[in-house]
Amino acid sequence: MHLQHVWLNDFRSYPSLDVELPAGLTALLGRNGQGKSNVLEAVAYLATLESFRGAPADALVRRGASSAVVRGQVLVDGREQLIEAEINPAGRNRVQVNRQRLQRTRDLVEALRVTVFAPDDLELLKGGPAVRRSYLDKALVLERPAVDSVRSDFEKALRQRNALLKQCKGRLDEAAGLTLDVWDLKLAQAGEELTRLRRDLADRLSPVTTRAYRDVAGETSEVRLVYVSEWHERGLAAALVDSRAADVRRGTTLVGPHRDDLLVLLNDMPSRTHASQGEQRSLALGLRLGVHRLVTSRMGVPPVLLLDDVFSELDPERSVALLAALPQGQTLLSSATELPPGAVADLTLDVTTGRLDPR
Amino acid sequence: MATYAAPVQDLIDALGRLPGVGPKSAQRIAFYLLKVDDEEATKLARAITEAKARIGFCTVCFNLSEGEVCTICSDPERDQSVLCVVEEPRDVVAVERTREFKGRYHVLQGAIDHLQGVGPDQLRIKELLARVGAEQITEVIICTNPNLEGEATSLYLSRVLAVPGLSVTRIASGLPVGGDLEYADELTLGRALEGRRVVENG
Repeated sequence: MHLQHVWLNDFRSYPSLDVELPAGLTALLGRNGQGKSNVLEAVAYLATLESFRGAPADALVRRGASSAVVRGQVLVDGREQLIEAEINPAGRNRVQVNRQRLQRTRDLVEALRVTVFAPDDLELLKGGPAVRRSYLDKALVLERPAVDSVRSDFEKALRQRNALLKQCKGRLDEAAGLTLDVWDLKLAQAGEELTRLRRDLADRLSPVTTRAYRDVAGETSEVRLVYVSEWHERGLAAALVDSRAADVRRGTTLVGPHRDDLLVLLNDMPSRTHASQGEQRSLALGLRLGVHRLVTSRMGVPPVLLLDDVFSELDPERSVALLAALPQGQTLLSSATELPPGAVADLTLDVTTGRLDPR
Repeated sequence: MATYAAPVQDLIDALGRLPGVGPKSAQRIAFYLLKVDDEEATKLARAITEAKARIGFCTVCFNLSEGEVCTICSDPERDQSVLCVVEEPRDVVAVERTREFKGRYHVLQGAIDHLQGVGPDQLRIKELLARVGAEQITEVIICTNPNLEGEATSLYLSRVLAVPGLSVTRIASGLPVGGDLEYADELTLGRALEGRRVVENG
């Protein structure tokens, strides 16, 4: 998978940009606020139709412009794919692949896959369980786009059940009880399936994340990912029955995959409380690179790796180790400092106020 | 900013409340109506009043009907023992087009969707149960949509219809006839695999 060419119009700080990218490592270097991350963000947008910084659509459009356009040409399995996305904060966004309108976002995965590592990823370790659940769910879709329907079925059933619980206003009559039975069944089906997928992924991620962590940290620690669902032994159907009275009282579903967590253990200790700052940074990177490796082996081709401001997260030794162990495939990285000694990029671009100058 | 005269704005607002019509379309339709011959516009107005006056819901199956009881329910040729349960009147038309179904219908007028405030009480389910009790019905075929709300409704019906001597079935979901496998989406293909059948030889 090789993103050969990127064009931007009115995206963030860029009135326009036209840049060709090599198949290997591209380094975007420049002081802060010059627009390095914006390029990575645009590339990630082409693959996911969202900002990895969590920015809303109107933040992606250059001030004074009404819409932004991101275009990219990708070489996949010897075929050229043209992806075009128009971002319209006031109206509808438009996305085309090879001039054909895109039906579903997840179909984009066939044209372009990316792995993003950004400074915010420290949240994977310090943040709440929702961050880690979403990490797992996104990885699942990257591996197998079709499983996105499992997650969306679960979320729809959950919304319906919660709406019913809210309408009950704390009291459950016989008729509402019968309807609740139906949603319990639907929720249990989708929820068990989603949990099975997440648990299986966590198991498969443990060894690859360990390897990625060791590459970066240069030590022989063991990373283990444990998917935790408090209800799992009873089964979701039984857990929903147990929790029904409390659910009705509180007007919401208190048990299920939407409350689960992913425990990240470093040498069998919870990393959230026991790992040092540096270890946590390496772990966050390891989690992303773990998914990257898993998707690579599943698909046969590595996703495009986007490393945003990665050296600010790592000490010099770890930076060198990361570059030495960089997975095969295309990588774009941004940095406010020069590359660590010994590292050679296929293309180095100096970024100054929205201009990219090749060295 | 220039605004429209009150009657024009009223028209635009009324059109904008129609399903599938956004503010821009409402405006376009309003201007079209104001431009056409009086006769054309009156014809539309009359068609609406006529339909509203003459068409109601069948008191038996709740399909759209010109009389008290619709033509299907009053047709003696129809199989009185089989009932096909659908969400909307337009689903009756869809099933009728197949010419495969000789029984009668029951229109729920929606599906369970708590997000829209629709529970079993808002649907014609009580009436369905009354029919099953009073008429000589031996089979109920549930033809709700194959989406989450339709499936939930189907599941609910299968529970409340669990009475001895009554068979409750659900239509199968699968591949469109005459299509190509490679164009089927994964979900449909997955469902079709789940519902596979033994090939009958000879």
